[in-house]
Amino acid sequence: MLRKDLIAIALLCIPSVLVAQNPCAEYHKFNCNRSADKRFSPNGQSKSAAVQVGQETELNIIIYRGQDYRISLCHDDKVLGADLAMRLVEKVRVPTGGTGADGRATYEESEKVLWDNTEHEMAQEVEFTSSSTKRIAVEIVAPGGAESLKVRDGKSFDIGCVGILIEHMPTPQMGF
Amino acid sequence: MAGSLLLLASCGGNSDAPTTTADERPELVIGDEVPTSASSLYQMPTPNELFVLVRDMAGEGHRKLLNPASNVDKYATLASRALNFGVYSTDLVYASYFKLNVEVARYYLTTKKLAEGLGLSSAFSDADFVRLESNLTRGDSLEVISNAAYLRAYEKLQSEDMGPTLSLVLAGGWVESMHLVVRQIEAFGESPALMARVAEQKVILEHLVALMEPHASAPEVAGVHKDLLAIRDIYDQVNMKRVPHRATNTSGRMVLGDDVEIDLTADKYAELVKAVDQLRARITQPEDRNNA
Repeated sequence: MLRKDLIAIALLCIPSVLVAQNPCAEYHKFNCNRSADKRFSPNGQSKSAAVQVGQETELNIIIYRGQDYRISLCHDDKVLGADLAMRLVEKVRVPTGGTGADGRATYEESEKVLWDNTEHEMAQEVEFTSSSTKRIAVEIVAPGGAESLKVRDGKSFDIGCVGILIEHMPTPQMGF
Repeated sequence: MAGSLLLLASCGGNSDAPTTTADERPELVIGDEVPTSASSLYQMPTPNELFVLVRDMAGEGHRKLLNPASNVDKYATLASRALNFGVYSTDLVYASYFKLNVEVARYYLTTKKLAEGLGLSSAFSDADFVRLESNLTRGDSLEVISNAAYLRAYEKLQSEDMGPTLSLVLAGGWVESMHLVVRQIEAFGESPALMARVAEQKVILEHLVALMEPHASAPEVAGVHKDLLAIRDIYDQVNMKRVPHRATNTSGRMVLGDDVEIDLTADKYAELVKAVDQLRARITQPEDRNNA
């Protein structure tokens, strides 16, 4: 039996009180494929989580200027569906133009979609160069797979593991 | 295979039960809802990401910049231990990246000692220390071992749901990273590239403050959270300009988003350094055990 299947079974079996310990915790370490480009190193911000079909989940990370990144997904496709929707959204703190009770300028968080895989044939990985240090949210939504439509003993199977593998390398200098 | 069968058997329920559609009665197997922590997760970059970027332009490392290892026994409260675990583990990574080999061994043991008081001892094994000692002349291996220890501690804090402690560890780590980069600039001399790295820590600080937000009202977190907000206020006064990326990308990959130009003036830099120094002094100040 594959490790992936074992995790899926474990997800279905554990009592809810144990969910906080996150049975998906190391999913990306064993299921996501590393880049064939050996210059990429695994990034410590990689993360796995239990994701529910239809519910947006976001992983907030930092990308540094002068680095190239590869972000790839792996997931339980029987439960979550063949392809996950993924967006890279930049979060920026911007002044509102107003002031607070203490007389100081107030700020709000603004979001800007930088990349959306629905415009790129649902690609499950993306590579890019970061020309400035940014706060990025990797937003994931699972459409649901064959298993998520089944209900047994009044219980549905619509939560599965998603791994987000982040790799990075210094932006290579090429050409003359 | 036997393990698989056991797992299957322990699921209970009737495997022959009819399969129906989700429309009829959706009830989740794993609790009634996905844990709220799963819908919005925050990860902080590990200290090595910053040190890799500054190493090549900042000359040699300096052991005098590190928090003295002899202070480790003087942190008595949980909050102080957590903050200084962040400080010492950042020092460990710094020492390994700047090839201060004797300090790597010293700070591994120091960090391990503090980890024991935080329930993180499994992140620092004796076997790793033996490996580390036998690799003291191979800088790259030291980086790998110290980073792995840092990551294990970080992941354990996350998996054990130790949010307030994790917040303090990351806050201590960020303050120490700033301290080390600023002191490197003083030792090596100012350069636009190094100053730009300090300026863009604005983004990392905003991220850290957002990560700490859910625990900001916890008594042990509130003080340092407030201090970080004060530093963020200084960063807020720094001019930032967003411009579309124009230069040719050397790697051939797409460039994500705009370029950001940050104009960190000498006055604002001095203000930032002062605020970071004051906060670090408070964090690393040894506690009087009798009053802790």
